[in-house]
Formats: sequence, C-alpha cells, structure tokens
Amino acid sequence: MLQIKPILSTLMRNKSGPILLLIQIILSVAIVANASFIISERIALMDRDSGTAEEEVFNFRLYSFDSSIELESQLQRDIRTIRDLPGVMDASATSMVPLSGGGWSSGYTVGNTEETAKDTESAAVYYGDEHMLNTLGVDLIEGRNFYEEEVLTGSPDLATHGIVSKAFAKASWGDEPAIGQIMYAGDFGDKPIQIIGVVDKLQGAWVNSSYLDNSVILNINLVNVFTKVLVRAEVGTLAQLKEAIPAALHKDNRNRVIEGFTLISEHRKRVYRNHELMATVLSMMVVLLLLITSLGLAGMVMFNIERRTKQIGTRRALGAKKRDIISFFLVENYIICLVGGVIGGLVAVQLGQQLMSVYSLPKLEPIYPIMTIMGLLLLTTVAVILPARKAAKISPAIATRSV
Amino acid sequence: MFFYYLDLAWRSIKKTPLLSLLMVLAISIGIGITITTLNVYQLMSENPAGDRSDKLHGVQLWSQGKDAWKEFNGQVTYQDAYNLRKSDVPVRQTAMFVTGLALQTEDPDFSPLLESVRVTDSDFFEMFSVPFLYGKAWDKGVDTEAMYQVVINEDLNKQLFSGENSIGKTLYLDRKPYQIVGVTKAWSPSPLYYDVTTGAFKDSAKLFVPFSLAPIEEYQSWGNNQSWKREPINNYSQRLSSEMHWIQYWVEVQDDKQRDEYAEWLTRYVEQQQLIGRFESPEAAAKVSNVEQWLKINEVVPEDNKILVGLSVLFLLVCLVNMLGLLLAKFLKRAPEVGVRRAIGASRAQIFSQHMVEVGLIGFGGGLLGLLWAWGSLSMLSAHFDLEAALTQLDLTMWIVAPSIAIFAALIAGVYPAWRICSTNPSAHLKSQ
Repeated sequence: MLQIKPILSTLMRNKSGPILLLIQIILSVAIVANASFIISERIALMDRDSGTAEEEVFNFRLYSFDSSIELESQLQRDIRTIRDLPGVMDASATSMVPLSGGGWSSGYTVGNTEETAKDTESAAVYYGDEHMLNTLGVDLIEGRNFYEEEVLTGSPDLATHGIVSKAFAKASWGDEPAIGQIMYAGDFGDKPIQIIGVVDKLQGAWVNSSYLDNSVILNINLVNVFTKVLVRAEVGTLAQLKEAIPAALHKDNRNRVIEGFTLISEHRKRVYRNHELMATVLSMMVVLLLLITSLGLAGMVMFNIERRTKQIGTRRALGAKKRDIISFFLVENYIICLVGGVIGGLVAVQLGQQLMSVYSLPKLEPIYPIMTIMGLLLLTTVAVILPARKAAKISPAIATRSV
Repeated sequence: MFFYYLDLAWRSIKKTPLLSLLMVLAISIGIGITITTLNVYQLMSENPAGDRSDKLHGVQLWSQGKDAWKEFNGQVTYQDAYNLRKSDVPVRQTAMFVTGLALQTEDPDFSPLLESVRVTDSDFFEMFSVPFLYGKAWDKGVDTEAMYQVVINEDLNKQLFSGENSIGKTLYLDRKPYQIVGVTKAWSPSPLYYDVTTGAFKDSAKLFVPFSLAPIEEYQSWGNNQSWKREPINNYSQRLSSEMHWIQYWVEVQDDKQRDEYAEWLTRYVEQQQLIGRFESPEAAAKVSNVEQWLKINEVVPEDNKILVGLSVLFLLVCLVNMLGLLLAKFLKRAPEVGVRRAIGASRAQIFSQHMVEVGLIGFGGGLLGLLWAWGSLSMLSAHFDLEAALTQLDLTMWIVAPSIAIFAALIAGVYPAWRICSTNPSAHLKSQ
C-alpha cells in the first residue's frame, strides 16, 4: 500500500543523493538535539527565583574617603535619611547583593559534640539589621526576625543570631527544625550563632556556584569605609532616587562617593548574560540549521521530480492517482528521515557524552533527540509536499512525448 | 582559461538563479555562524603578551595547609609576596593587586570619582610593555622607600588635565596628595592576562600607585580574597600576616635557564618556609607559568565558547553536505551539455576545472555574504548583550579567513560532483538529445 518496495529500489538505483540527505539529517539531529538540550538547560538556570523583590530592590555603593568621618554614626544617619525619602519602602546596609556576582561566602561548623561536628556547605553571608528581610522582600516562614536591640555594629566576628534560607537549613540539619540550632563561625564551640528564623528562599551572589540557594543573614551592621546599601522602593522610582539619595547624603557630608545604583533585576540580567548569550546563539543555530536542512530537502525533491518526470508521467498514465505520487515522495522522505533520525539520535547521544566528559554539561536527556526527530519529520513533510504537489500535476502526456 | 571558466561559471549560475542562491545562502550561513563563534574564540584565546610570552611568568605557591585546596591558587599571600620580592634571580618582578580610591583634583568643584587603582611595583610598566606618553614609572627606590607617586593613563589625563603634560601635578586619592610621575598611552591588553582573578575581559586600571604604600595606606583589596584557614582578619596588619591569598605575583626571566634557576630558588624558599612551620601540606610546592600556560590554567576561554565553536563547525559541515547535494543535482542536470563539450574535444581535466571554478565562485560569494552575516550577528549580539567591544569587533584576519574557509570548503564539497560529471560517458547523453 505504501509502495515501500519500489521506493527502496528507486533509492538504491541512485544512491548518492539519498546518502547525502541521510548524512545531513544525521548531523542535523545530532546538533539540534544537543543544542536544544543546552538551551533548555540554560533557560531553566535563568528561570530560578532569587526570592527577592527584584524589581523593587536596588543597591548602591557608598565610599567614605574622609578618615575624620565617624563611620558608625554616619551610617546610621544615612540609612535613616534614606528611609525617610519619598518612594522608599525600606533600606538596610549589607555585605552583599543577591545575584551581583560579588560578596561574602563561608562554611560553618554544626553538630552537638566536638566529635560529631561537621562543616556545612558554603553559604552566602549577608550582614544586616532587622530591616534587611523587609528590604529584600523575602518571606520568613519559620521563627522570627532580629529584634532591633540584637543588631550589633562592627566586625563580622560579633555575630550571634542568624536567619537562614530553607535550602541551607535542609542541607545543614536535614529534617530537624532549624530554629534554635547553633552553628559556629569558627571550629566547634568557637563563635556560636543561634538560628532564630528561616526564610523560604534567598539566593547568593554567584549564580554558577553549587550553593546558590544557601544563604545566611547575620545580625551585624558592618562598619567599613566601603559600604553597600540596599534600598527597596516603589517600582519606577529608581531614576528619581538616583538623584535624591546622593543629594540627601551629600548634604550631610560631602566626602563620600555614591554610585553604582543597580536594581537586582539588572544584576540578574548581567549575571546571566553569558547563559543568555549561549542560549541565543544556539537558538539561532537551531533555526538556521532547520531552515537549511528543509531548503536543501526541498531543492533535492525538486531536482528529483525533474529527473523523474518521465517515470511520474508513466505511472500517472498507468492509473496512479495524484495522491499516490505525493505519497511516493513523502514515504521516500520518511524512510530517509527515520533512518537518518535513528542514526542521528545515536550520534547525538554520543556527542552528548563527549561534551559531558570534556565539559561540565549534564547528560543529554533522550527526549531531546526524540523531539528533534519528530520536529524534523513534521518540517520535512512541509518541505516535500510543496514540490511534490507540483509533481502530481505532471500530465501523463509528458511521459510519452519524448520517448 | 581561468577567466573563460569564470565566465562559463557566471552564465551557469545565472541559468539556475534559485538553486545557486540556495547554495550561496547555505554556505554563507554556515560561514557566518562559524566566523561569529571563531571570532569570539580567537579574541578570547589571543596571547596579548606576544613574543614576551615566554619571558613573563606568573608565580603560584601551594602554601595552604594539609586538607585545604587541592590545587594551586592563582594568587599568593602578602607575606610570600613580601619575601619573593627579595629574590635577585629574575630580571624584573612585581607584586600587585587592585584597590579602589576616591579621586579628587585641586579643583574644589570637581566631584570625587571612585576609580579602581592598581597597586604595583615600578617593574610592572617595563614587564608588561606599557607605553608612556609623558614621564615614566616611579623610581625603583620607591618600591622600598614608599613615596606618594602615581601613574595615570591617557584617558584620565584628558579628563582631568585636558590632555596636557601633567607630570609633577598633584592628584588626591582618598584625600592624600600624590604626585603624577607618568602618563601612559592608551593601553589595555585583552585578555587582561596579568590579573584574570575577577574576569579577564575588562579594561586595565586608570591609575597605578606603588605597592610599598599598601601597608601604610592600608589599601582595600578589590580583587578576590581567598582564605583556606579560619583566622581573624579584622584589621590590616592581621591581613598582611594572614594566610589569605590576594596578591598577584609576576616575574620576568631572560631565558629558560634563568627560569629554572628561579624555580630552584622558589623550591628552596618553600623548604625554608616549611622550617618555620608554614607550607604544611605534603604537596607544598611552587610553580611558574608563562603567559600561554597562565591563560590555559586560568581557563580564560570559557567552555561555552569551545562548545559553540565545535557545534558551529558541525553546522558548517551540514551546510557543505547540503551544498554537495545541490551541486550534484545541478551538475547532473547539465550532463547533456557536458556530453556535447566532451564530444567536441574538451578533456576531462578541463571539464573538471571548469566546474571547480564554478564551485569556487559560489564559495567566494558565500564567504563574502558569510562575513556580512558574521558582522551583523556580532553587532547584534554586542548591542543586545552589552558585551565588551574587544570581543565583538570583527578581527581583521577574519576578512581573509572567512572567504578562504568558504572557498576551500566549497571546493571540497565540489570535488565529488565535478568528478561525477566529468567522468560520465558523453555518448549516453548525446543519444538522448
């Protein structure tokens, strides 16, 4: 019914064309499967939520270069000034900014006795005050926030209370409740920090690290000539606050550089830029590749039709319907596509394994070659049907004309 | 003969415009993608040190404790840097790091700028071939007897002094006066090989100050600070005596002999430090790497780029196979015409070269169009992603590379169809005329 036998013998009579098509399909499937896998993997990476109100929160840098500045009281005055500005919802000094690519990270010691003590996974370390949770816009799901009187000002070593992200709590204490646990900034027993709260989600600064979701907030207002300040303000007010904040702070003391106003959503764009670039270039490649393959296929079919004009005319004269002619070309194409697709799928898996062993790419999931073959079948159907319909219109008379 | 073939080729291309256009498009897209990825790859993997690559060496020390990092760190501790500077084996050497300082001028209305500043030794400029517009580096004596001197770059000189010779003038960094001793010409190697710790593709600093000022001025480090040891670092003197890695160290040697000599000196240094209780790991050692090795160790070319180049070469391969198929179709269609030419005396070699010229012409067209694609996609990428200009300008060599690859690839794809057509028997086609 599908005329597979005559089609096969046609294919065998003139091998070079179909073989070339086969090679092209094998390579296309191998490339497209791997490329689309990498694309979807990158998109999944970029889709991860930082846990913060990314469109509302921005940060800026504050550098006090005048050694006569009393940093501690100056910082407190500055933060109060910022909180009073119109449009500002909250503000807090910080040691780092989510997704910004720079900041602090550390591991801690946990355990009940010195013998069972172990190191935790690394975590991003945010030093901030009781306003930090609200400034970042993260959700506290267990325990409580810092009390105002718990927040200390000075060096990182002073920390006594901590709020951790759910991911870090799970990695460090498993299913035990995190609230009330003690972790040590030094060796076991050294510089204890009591966990008082858990936030649902808070990412660190390095999106390519394995511990992106591990975060710790400690009850310290860092005092340093170089300070980062986080501000949460109504969407769209950044442009105006960019002017208002330096003006307000310079009124207090001019000897500071105030710059680098950046929304977290802008940090996100920058920090994922390379992934986005990779996904874009690969998508371009996939689209062009499919375009070229289908154009090439259409070209081949057109050529075949010209060569087989006589054959088609004869078949039509002998009673073949238009439908039969189209299905002849379609089935021919499907045979090549399926054979090429299967071999291409195997090559794709092989290529994926090579990429995995040489580069840090995850294993290719089989769904990608399968989807690619399906897509290719669909695409080639269109690429074949258009010229084949022309072929079906060949009049039987043509066949007899030049014999 | 060649021009006659060229003419024939042009006629043949005009006769089947659609098919020819398809071929040119196929090869140009393949070339466009390949050139795009190759261009970025080439610019990233370029060795900007040129012929000095074998003389300049980055120094690494395995100073960490037993169970700490399992590899050499890219930077060294301050105390090691301090000690290494005492070696008299290398011709030149420098310790360095990046800091940020508030810049003011004598003009009270000038609003302070926060600038990144490289803290380094006087040898830096000679080692990394920094060209000077005015003045020169600070004296070698300043490396031991600190003085408030600064070297600025051409851009900053334009911005602050409208490009005039500013030697001897005063700048304020964190409110301290510094005397300008040199103005460098625009200079920014890419990749910024001497400090890749915070990304290899950025501009070099606009200001340079003596390393000997670091313990006095307590410059903060704007680079990576990596500790393997839990130790309190709450003030600058603790930082200087800590095991934290945050200083880059480079030496220049005359030749391989001197490099070996220096490696030997470092080995003795490690042994000597072990005696006083540092370098506790059994793997403790020192390592020097020239610029080429340095770029490799630090994986300056990101993996993504290698994957892209690999995939785009496969892509080009698909385009070629595609073209091969189309060429085959096109040439075989012309078999009767070739039969006539053969019958009236054209040799196989002539038929073959005639068709190769045609293929070459298509390849050349594809190459040119491919360059256009590459240029377009690079500008689009750089605009959309705000990439460093250094990475997205079309390298000059590509103007030669692209058409060459295109013609070469097209010729390879054309060999089989051209051979098929010239080896067919003329009588078979003459009969059916």
